[in-house]
Amino acid sequence: MPEVSRRRLLGIGAGIGAIAASGLALSAGWARRPAETGDQLTSEVPLPQAFSVPLPIPPMAVPVSSGPDGDRYEMVQREIDAEILPGHATRLWTYDGSFPGPTIESRRGRPVTVLHRNELPVPTVVHLHGGRTPAASDGYPTDLVLPDGWTGQHSHSMVDDRAVVTNVQREYGFPLDQRATMLWYHDHRMDFTAPAIWRGLAGLHFVRDDVEDALDLPRGDHELPLMIADRAFDADGQLAYPSVDPSLTGEHGVREPYLAGVLGDTVLVNGAPWPVHEADTGLYRLRILNGSNARHYELEAVADDGRVLPLVQIGADQGLLAAPVRHERLPIAPAERYDLLVDFGDLPVGSSVRLANRLGSGRTADVMRFDIVRNGTSAPIPEALADDLPEWDRADAAVVRDLAFRAGRMEDGRHGWVVDGLPFDPARTDVAARLGDVEIWRLIADVHHPVHLHLVGFRVLSRGGGPPLPHDAGLKDTISLRPGESAEIITRFDGYRGRYLFHCHNAEHEDMGMMANLEIA
Amino acid sequence: MQRESTIAAAAVPPGAGTAPGSERTAASGWVLRAVATVHIAAAFAQPVFAGVFLSGDYDGIAWHRLGADVVFTIGLLQVAAAAAVWLRVRRAWPFWLSLALVAAETAQYLAGMDGALWLHLPLGVAVIAALAVGFIAVWMRPLPRRRKEVRADA
Repeated sequence: MPEVSRRRLLGIGAGIGAIAASGLALSAGWARRPAETGDQLTSEVPLPQAFSVPLPIPPMAVPVSSGPDGDRYEMVQREIDAEILPGHATRLWTYDGSFPGPTIESRRGRPVTVLHRNELPVPTVVHLHGGRTPAASDGYPTDLVLPDGWTGQHSHSMVDDRAVVTNVQREYGFPLDQRATMLWYHDHRMDFTAPAIWRGLAGLHFVRDDVEDALDLPRGDHELPLMIADRAFDADGQLAYPSVDPSLTGEHGVREPYLAGVLGDTVLVNGAPWPVHEADTGLYRLRILNGSNARHYELEAVADDGRVLPLVQIGADQGLLAAPVRHERLPIAPAERYDLLVDFGDLPVGSSVRLANRLGSGRTADVMRFDIVRNGTSAPIPEALADDLPEWDRADAAVVRDLAFRAGRMEDGRHGWVVDGLPFDPARTDVAARLGDVEIWRLIADVHHPVHLHLVGFRVLSRGGGPPLPHDAGLKDTISLRPGESAEIITRFDGYRGRYLFHCHNAEHEDMGMMANLEIA
Repeated sequence: MQRESTIAAAAVPPGAGTAPGSERTAASGWVLRAVATVHIAAAFAQPVFAGVFLSGDYDGIAWHRLGADVVFTIGLLQVAAAAAVWLRVRRAWPFWLSLALVAAETAQYLAGMDGALWLHLPLGVAVIAALAVGFIAVWMRPLPRRRKEVRADA
């Protein structure tokens, strides 16, 4: 056998090298950089010019009665036609006729009762995201409120013996014994959460307390709730969404290629496309929610002279931080909230500040704009914030759990998303936790998965084996895992016993299997 | 092929006290072979750890991080071993190949830290392929010590 020389072998190696280089170039050109989980719908109507529509502020909910036992609200879930794009009437599903729904203002420890009446064509479930809520009012996905005369299935892909189904209306009770923060309420119906939120079923809910009051933070028209959500529109100006069954009564899930998440090409803030808000040169408090189904943003405030204004984070999902954290850019995943201070004090009247999305491209690179139109009064940024953050030590943990969030198959064999290899089943207890126990959860993701726990807030112990990132500060209820990333979180399961959920808050993933039961006993 | 044979023949002239059949790999060559073997074995563990991690075992990522440090350290050792081969065996290609491997492993390390999976996955496969080529190259033929030219100069 003739010997192969090293020279020949190195030549072969160079050939392999050339193939590898081509592969790397293909990957560089083809793969999404930065990574993005989901596919974008393209609107079929002309979209309005950015920064031409004024920023709407959602209406305040007015209690129907108030007493020593708390406040009582009533909301009707109903369809409306709203002008989101100028010149188009878009059919929406709303809480009480507005999108976002009416904002509820509440105080820590003062109970709120909300009677929801369902006048929509499908069953609904209301969940208060981030609420420390007894299980009966937490909006378990099979605890349906059926519309009048409903003859369809009760729970779609699964039978659930523990479901508490009501006709037409249901009273939800929220004790709200929790830190001051901005929560949000949204539909959480089994299999159809994503399209219901997309159609408009989302609203804000503030909790206030004495700790927050003592800080004298900007309030009134200097405290702006901003619900950022992307949407897309069809040729009639209606919301486009790739449901397998657009009536949302039969087969759940979305069509190819949107299985990883539905992204819109239109960025709405409080329901308006790329709005503009007139501001003064004062200090503003922005209460930001990413209410998108699947889109992540990386926010940056850029003045028209090119300067990047610091985004001073004072709060996370579950309330105020101990001390402010300054960001140049701030990533926000679906369902996450940030409490930010932005100081327009150095800007001249007549200038503007664009809130940009550094993860976006084309028109999704913009979110909204502030036009500085008058002088305001400056205010200091407090350097010490809340002192009531819970601290849990690793040594206190009774249990350490590994939980993997990744692609898999739904119970019917279709492509879906699974937690530890299993699609959601209401009848299966995935995690049984003892009331009062401290637990560490080690979360693993294959693609972007914003993981949300009901009932409790948690602290981030580590991310990717290293220290938490700056925006992981404070008490959270949703943690954004990036592709291949892991994180450790710690919490104490206290408050209430019962059946709760944890799940991915990419709403499409959630509908396609990526939820699990958390039984607290 | 032809030219290498010629050089090898010139390097070991007949009657220099060394029989052509006793072209034995020098000690530095054996060190390089050993390091290259450990290098590819350690590198092959990296996709294993990644698979364990993505299958839901959180400890897999700690192993993957440790493995990255180990592979990178072996990569540096291989550069040193290849430098010795350059000096003692008068062959430069193992050095340049090892240096290119360390460069690729540096990029691989940083891509992993940065979560740039578009680069990390294909580059990881490419590094394994390059390690395999180098492994075959060092084991396929002897790496004998050559000192004649030095003596001739002296």
